[in-house]
Amino acid sequence: MSGRRAEPRDWDWNSPRCRAELDHIFFRQHDYIRANSPEHAEFWTFFERFQRFRAKRELSGSSSSRGRAEPQDGKARNRSGTGGPDLGLPKEYDARYRISVSVCSRDVEDGFGSSGHRRSGGESSGPGREQVSECRLALLHFLDFAQKQSFSKVLKLRREQRNLPIFQYRERLVELVRRNPVVVVAGDTGCGKSTQAPQYLLGSGFSNIACTQPRRIACISLAKRVSFETLNQFGSKVGYQIRFETSRTPSTKLLFLTEGLLLRQIQQDAALSQYQVLIVDEVHERHLHCDFLLGVLRSLIARRPDLRLVLMSATINIKLFSGYFNHAPVLQVPGRLFPIQVIYQPIPPEEQVSKSEKLDPRPYLRVLQGIDQRYPAEERGDLLLFLSGVAEISTIMEACQTYATHTNRWIVLPLHSTLSLTQQDKVFDIAPPGVRKCIISTNIAETSVTIDGVRFVVDSGKVKEMSFDPKAKMQRLQEFWISRASSEQRKGRAGRTGPGVCYRLYAESDYEAFAPYPVPEIHRVALDSLVLQMKSMGLGDPLSFAFIDPPPTSSIQTAVTYLKEQGALEARGELTPIGTLLSQLPVDVVIGKMLVLGSLFSLVEPVLTIAAALSVQSPFLRSAQHNPDCSTARQPLNSDLGDPFTLLNTFNAWVQVKGERGGGSRKWCKRRGLEEQRLYEMANLRRQFKELLRSHGLLETEEPPAPSAQGRTERRERLTERSRLYQLKREHELQDGGRRKVLRLDEGQEEESCSGSDNEGSGSGKKDKNSMGRDVDIQEVKFKLRHNVTKLQEAAYVSADLSSRQLALLRLVLCRGLYPQLALPDEHNSTRKDSEQVFHTRNKQGVMIHPTSVFAIDPEVLHVSENETGEFGADRGESNRHQLLAFVTLLETNKPYVSSCVRVPALQALILVANSVDSNADCTRLVVDGWLELCVSDGEAALRALSSALKLRAEWERLLQAQLGHTGSGSTAGLGFSGPKPGRRELEKLAEGLVRFLVYNEVTYSLRRLTALQTQNLYIGPQLNPELSLPPLFPGMKAEPDPVKGGLRVTSYFTYNCLCDSKDLYSECLRTFWSCPHCDLHMPLTPLERMQHEATCRSAEEQQPEDDPTDDSPQAASTSALTRLYHCDLCNKDLTLTSTQILKHKRQHQP
Amino acid sequence: MDSGEGAVRGVFTCELCELSSPYTFYGQKPPNTRGIVLLEECYGMRDPFSPEKEKFLVLGSKCCLCNKIVCVGTECSLFYTKRFCLPCVREHLHQFPEQIQTELAKKKPTQKS
Repeated sequence: MSGRRAEPRDWDWNSPRCRAELDHIFFRQHDYIRANSPEHAEFWTFFERFQRFRAKRELSGSSSSRGRAEPQDGKARNRSGTGGPDLGLPKEYDARYRISVSVCSRDVEDGFGSSGHRRSGGESSGPGREQVSECRLALLHFLDFAQKQSFSKVLKLRREQRNLPIFQYRERLVELVRRNPVVVVAGDTGCGKSTQAPQYLLGSGFSNIACTQPRRIACISLAKRVSFETLNQFGSKVGYQIRFETSRTPSTKLLFLTEGLLLRQIQQDAALSQYQVLIVDEVHERHLHCDFLLGVLRSLIARRPDLRLVLMSATINIKLFSGYFNHAPVLQVPGRLFPIQVIYQPIPPEEQVSKSEKLDPRPYLRVLQGIDQRYPAEERGDLLLFLSGVAEISTIMEACQTYATHTNRWIVLPLHSTLSLTQQDKVFDIAPPGVRKCIISTNIAETSVTIDGVRFVVDSGKVKEMSFDPKAKMQRLQEFWISRASSEQRKGRAGRTGPGVCYRLYAESDYEAFAPYPVPEIHRVALDSLVLQMKSMGLGDPLSFAFIDPPPTSSIQTAVTYLKEQGALEARGELTPIGTLLSQLPVDVVIGKMLVLGSLFSLVEPVLTIAAALSVQSPFLRSAQHNPDCSTARQPLNSDLGDPFTLLNTFNAWVQVKGERGGGSRKWCKRRGLEEQRLYEMANLRRQFKELLRSHGLLETEEPPAPSAQGRTERRERLTERSRLYQLKREHELQDGGRRKVLRLDEGQEEESCSGSDNEGSGSGKKDKNSMGRDVDIQEVKFKLRHNVTKLQEAAYVSADLSSRQLALLRLVLCRGLYPQLALPDEHNSTRKDSEQVFHTRNKQGVMIHPTSVFAIDPEVLHVSENETGEFGADRGESNRHQLLAFVTLLETNKPYVSSCVRVPALQALILVANSVDSNADCTRLVVDGWLELCVSDGEAALRALSSALKLRAEWERLLQAQLGHTGSGSTAGLGFSGPKPGRRELEKLAEGLVRFLVYNEVTYSLRRLTALQTQNLYIGPQLNPELSLPPLFPGMKAEPDPVKGGLRVTSYFTYNCLCDSKDLYSECLRTFWSCPHCDLHMPLTPLERMQHEATCRSAEEQQPEDDPTDDSPQAASTSALTRLYHCDLCNKDLTLTSTQILKHKRQHQP
Repeated sequence: MDSGEGAVRGVFTCELCELSSPYTFYGQKPPNTRGIVLLEECYGMRDPFSPEKEKFLVLGSKCCLCNKIVCVGTECSLFYTKRFCLPCVREHLHQFPEQIQTELAKKKPTQKS
């Protein structure tokens, strides 16, 4: 930039004006590089460097007689060269001869010298010829540089690919797949199978390839990596599809998707005709979905001979997979692991602890010390320590932290799925020189999270695994020894980037005694959802399905029974309409039920939120629970109605913050100890639920707003906003991964301690480093792209502003959804400490409330306080305020805990939702589901309650069936059940009735759990008394003697007079005079007759003709439904009568 | 294929190092560009590392002497007014200026077959 050349007097390369003039020549709107583009800025930076470089060269060149003086020599030598054709190369060397690009710029287009001419024009001293050519030269070099840069990236990529172990097997793999319907690829960590195998197939002409992954995050990162490797980063040839996100377009040829999603696609199209090749990756992990998928694919292969199936596995149990697919050929690929030294350091007996005690940290500290002694601090390499659970992690962390503070050579970091994502992300950061990371992790780091740079592994040999206890209907998180396969997998984590060491804190003989493989998930979990899905896929009897490793028969039977109880399957095991619907919902059956029930009443918005909230990991960070500031900030969100309501409040408040402050929500969450990611997930899930309900006709489609001038402006604004957001998202995607930051030495110390139970939820919080962007709140951007915040806010207003009546109804809906997951507070709870409250479920006695639940903090709301108990029945525990808890999960860790609970009024909820309600003759004693006993001293009141409950239930059921039957469009049930959609008036009336029943109950009763002995002698059993076979009582219902319990079965759930203590089997004697409040009937009736009369006798108000035009159910139908054909044996006449009339008629004949 | 990405015309493979990649154009004019002319007939594709569709990347071309298809990598070829594969450069090394001669001399020991 010196004045080495003749510059125009006012020419300054740094002046924006001068640069702008050159921009007009080289960087015009249609040029390869446009002014103001990123490359344009890069060019000028390059230009400055280029000039500096040339200036330097010129200085040294003139002094060392290179450069200009030289070519003569070169020329001379050229001439003296021997033989060969003259290549006609220029005599003088010039770097520009090495550039293979030329640029046609404005000066060239206009003809040479025009710029010079302009300059002589006088007014403006624009760039002279020299400046233009200098700029051109720089531009050529810049373009050449850019080419070299990109090309060297390609070269590096190809070199890396070629160095992968699987590269040698490329042709063999393709050949095998061409010739065989099923191929098993077995290769260990680092062999490159996941990224390369799909590419090889794609490159050799296969198309429409789907590759499944057990984890969502792997789908994204693999799609990203493979599209980069196939040089298609900005195209969509390679895409991914996960629950809420897809990058798939019609041009996608290779798709990474989750196992669950592929199963859903099979549900839609059993032949999977959209794919030519299916790759199922990580089959050895044996997830529930994967095992099931393999079973489904096995039968699909037979029907689609053109389909190619590739199973990819670690070198674990390969025979099993090959054998399952008719001895499919196996391609075994060596892994690429560095040698790992295994050191067995069993824990000495004096340091071993019993189950209830805290772990002894000494064996772990010894390893740290040993490393410090043996390996110089300059030699890098981090430590990964595997423990079974969160409590263990915090114990060992504490001790290691003390050691780390003392030595300044370690940064201790925990890793488990209940940590916030930011916390989890820290394990990928880099320790400063001379310091090692000590990552203390659950088995999440065994497969789901891969951390580079680990040199040392400490393996406790323990894992906490979820199992399912079908008897108690309870999940159990128990500690086990790991399998040899897991042990090897943990060891392998030490040899990914260099040779490593694995310390096993158990003896070699222990290792030998380990099971070879982990227990597949299908043997450990409740199979409700699986069986439901199998039914909806028409796979026949789940017991005869050819699983790769069939689950226990009892497990399937339990699931079938459960689904029958839930009304998802009918008696023969076929799907009911509601079952069909539930099978489409990607959630637990109980949550699905809530959604369906909520859609019936106008409670959709809150139910959507609650269902979504209960389907994701809790947003409340455990670590924040002990932080008083967080607790105070959370306080206004808590609801004493139950945890789902706290979640509802939280989501609603968050949405408001989002609407008002946008990005400020991050801080808002932090103050309250909330993991915002979970709230984003809730918003996504909520939307998915809403779409599902809508597509099944359970939700009215939103009417598009009438086009108005204002609407148009809004729409335009929204469009502008959206394109801005897309731009942001794009920019974020271009930022290649996140740069890892360097950790501070005190990083681990600010760690909040985590105590309580351990819960390493499988399938949650799985991630890898690629997913964690920083800086731009990309989540906020995605959120705004995906959701209409204004609409969400409206929905939040609706559900934040529920009246107490709506809340009562909502609790009932949740309770019916969650049924039979109910817990009874122990009668002595009011005398116990808050932390020792005991509850009982039907199958499990003595469960506790999980410490995260609102009822653990405030158990008093569940107590029946003294002054609430009835005046007379206080000592017998009578009250009209008994409550039950409906809960989402029952999980045993160190104790059995129920979590996510809602409290509901006991009597009302039970008779409205229970599958079995049995009574004695005067209905003063009720037994629900064979385990809860309700005793009412006031028989009149009991009858009134029971009678109205029966009416309400019948109506509720009728409207629900009508609603479901109406869902013809989306469901495939086709049960010919397409009555009219329930009218709004009917629904409102039902809601009103239910609320009145829930809120205004004055029945005082006692509530207790039956003892084992009492349950044994509960029923009178079948009676041979013909007197009991009374004529049918309810219209459309038959009261028949119950063949097992005895008494009369009045409805599918209510059996009258079957309880053993019945005073009189001949209930005729129980007739008392009664006058109907609705009609003028006054006569002696048995309780049963009374109920039956009440069911048919409508109040005057109800009998008014319904002239509401919005109500589309014809009134005629409802009256005719009350009458039926009655044949009187005594007068031998056929009569069309209502039930009351029949009663009256019969009475005539009596003496 | 995505619009603007250009249909794949074939697979370019360097005859020396076997680097291969699909190419979307062959010639002196990269598609969708104005003002850019290549000084040789090239195999090229859309620049895979740039989000912009019109950015291109030259993969390789034919050696002007032996007609071998070679990539533009410095281990395989060089451009000096024309494309030469390195074996040909070596054969006619004396005709090249000294800069190139020294460059190649430096390269020799590390060169792979």
